[in-house]
Amino acid sequence: MKVPQGRGVDNSLKALSRTINQPAITLAAIVLALVLGVMRLPFLQYLRPVGDFYIALLQICVLPFLLATIPLAVRSAMDGGSAPGVLRSLLFWVLITLVAVASVSAIIPSLFFDYSSPDQQMISHIGALLGRSADTIDVEFAVDPRHAAEIKGAADSGIVSLIPTNIFASLSSNDSVRVLVFAVIFGVGMVLTERESGKSIFDALRHIQSVCTLIFDWFSLLVPIGIVALVAPQVALLGPDAFTALTLFAYAFLATSAVLLLAAPMLCAFALRASPASVFGALLKPVMLGASTRNSLVCVPLALDTLKNDLKVKDEPCDLYLPIGIATIRFGTILYFVSATLFIGTLMGRHFSLIDLGLLAVFSVGASFATLGLSGLAALAPLAIVLRPFGLSYEVAVPLMIIIDPLADMVRTMLNVAINCMIPTLAGGRGTIPTLQLSL
Amino acid sequence: MSTLDWSGSIGHTAAMFFRRLFGAVTLALCIALSSLPAVAQSPSRPGLPRDVQSIIDAKVLRVAVTRFDLPSFHVRGPDGRLLGPEIEMAQQIGRALGVSVDFVDNAESFDSVVDYVAAGRADIGISKLSQTYNRLKRVRFSEPYVTLRHALLFNRVAIAREAGGQPPAAVLQKYNGRLGVIAGSAYVDFAHRNFPDATVVEARNWDSAIQSLLSGQVDAIYRDEFEIRRILKNKPALNVQFGSAVITDQNALLSIAICDTCSKLEAFINYHIGMTRGEFSLKELLSSELGKQVR
Repeated sequence: MKVPQGRGVDNSLKALSRTINQPAITLAAIVLALVLGVMRLPFLQYLRPVGDFYIALLQICVLPFLLATIPLAVRSAMDGGSAPGVLRSLLFWVLITLVAVASVSAIIPSLFFDYSSPDQQMISHIGALLGRSADTIDVEFAVDPRHAAEIKGAADSGIVSLIPTNIFASLSSNDSVRVLVFAVIFGVGMVLTERESGKSIFDALRHIQSVCTLIFDWFSLLVPIGIVALVAPQVALLGPDAFTALTLFAYAFLATSAVLLLAAPMLCAFALRASPASVFGALLKPVMLGASTRNSLVCVPLALDTLKNDLKVKDEPCDLYLPIGIATIRFGTILYFVSATLFIGTLMGRHFSLIDLGLLAVFSVGASFATLGLSGLAALAPLAIVLRPFGLSYEVAVPLMIIIDPLADMVRTMLNVAINCMIPTLAGGRGTIPTLQLSL
Repeated sequence: MSTLDWSGSIGHTAAMFFRRLFGAVTLALCIALSSLPAVAQSPSRPGLPRDVQSIIDAKVLRVAVTRFDLPSFHVRGPDGRLLGPEIEMAQQIGRALGVSVDFVDNAESFDSVVDYVAAGRADIGISKLSQTYNRLKRVRFSEPYVTLRHALLFNRVAIAREAGGQPPAAVLQKYNGRLGVIAGSAYVDFAHRNFPDATVVEARNWDSAIQSLLSGQVDAIYRDEFEIRRILKNKPALNVQFGSAVITDQNALLSIAICDTCSKLEAFINYHIGMTRGEFSLKELLSSELGKQVR
């Protein structure tokens, strides 16, 4: 059979992308990036613009892709009649996963801190770090309320921050959460009007989705370069302080992260009845893209492609859940907040009972939702919601967390991507019809 | 004229003479007594109020300082000599006046330095003195040579417990716990004024105040930004348990106390401070080698 010329180019591009993004090459890029980063070579600063350029390329099609994919997924679920079942299953696994992640996040670090408390030398180191990083002043206030700085209420907080009052403003400001909400509502509306009038633009959306996927395929050729260009300078940002004063926190956080990062592909393999090695190899791509870009949303197209095409997970749960889940449920942040609170509590001599650990897990899940729309260091602000009920100082935590953040940000994103990929896999299992086009 | 008349006339004249003499002596005594403080303060020019000329005439500027060290401001060197930017400033003023400087270093508290100046036992007082309403009733103050914001060092856990989820500033702004200050310092006044609900605990000195915070007798201690930062700079491990807070609308105006009658001396000192402005800064004070001589 004669293959059309364009399709041939497309296929050879995909083949090249798969060759370049083999697990072995991805792992080699990670090792190279880590080695370069730990060596802290001066030339690494010149890699940063390359990495920024790569992230910019990846972001080109993220919002159009989401705007096309979500209404298509909504239509697929509503027309197939399977939407309630898929949603119930997704909701069940989301809740189970939240409970499991929050529990593991509370148990492992608390055991870790119980058995290895910080010694006086470490406390002195940390004190010195605090003094230096916070310029020694933690709080500023005025005794005269007339001179007190006006506390500006957050423009939008809580549930209001999710409502896309002006979708064009949300699009232009890259406000992905509001765009997602808009896409879901708009998708439902499109399906209902299509049923009435028989007219729709779903074909156009499908075309837009294909275009975005093709463009992502082009850029995925650069994944190994992107990993080195983004991870190495980020690791180099970690000063020696992170390895001395904050060793205890780093070990607890990284050990728990490792457990969760291993558990996610194992459970996926179990649900798909596939070999853990193949699942691990497949998930490595989106997870490492998350580590290098520190932007979960950028990983959505690659994660969808990996789940649906490489792992043959059912389309519906992937399309319905993954964009929204990755954008809104931040498992890495839950672990980070729990670990940070336990660490600060250990520093300040606070003991956590079992009830405290339960409350800590609940507060951390709540605070992780408060990070929606925030990224980088700004996403640390909701940590106060977790620390303060336990009488712990946010002002102590922030300067310390900033020191470890170059590493923690990468790991948080890896966790967000890996665990969010696990949920539709557990909810849907292996699909019978693997390709996106056929499912629609 | 009879002998009786003559003798009566002599007696009358004598009585008048003694009466006038008594009046003159009384008047002289009154004038002398009224100018007695001035005489005591300015030995060379009786009758003039104490001010620049009397100091120049006496060829000595008497400067009261605390008997205890104020690291980065004035300390005693290994040989017992006074050192530090405040001492240097007093000597510069003395040189500008053309007189020598005599340091009266017996004051046991900050208020005591002001007492020395108010009582005329010193012409000026210089010991990290803050202007307060009470002090201004008794002495003049120069323009501030450095302005430091008021600050607190607080027990993080105690304040966070009190805050119940609110930011620490919310509790500190209306602090009602036990607040440590140095007895005889301006911060006794400041504490009563700025934290009327707090229980003010007066410590013998700054080291005792710090000790009371470390031992949990108080949950916060109150002084200026320099002193709070200096504690944390010298003992960084304290940063973990204790937090620092700056009060943005309360400043310690560190000035030279000047005798109440010395208006020209005040102008003279203000001119000197204006000419040397910038020699004191928080950053330089904190990095001063003299700051390390802390117990």
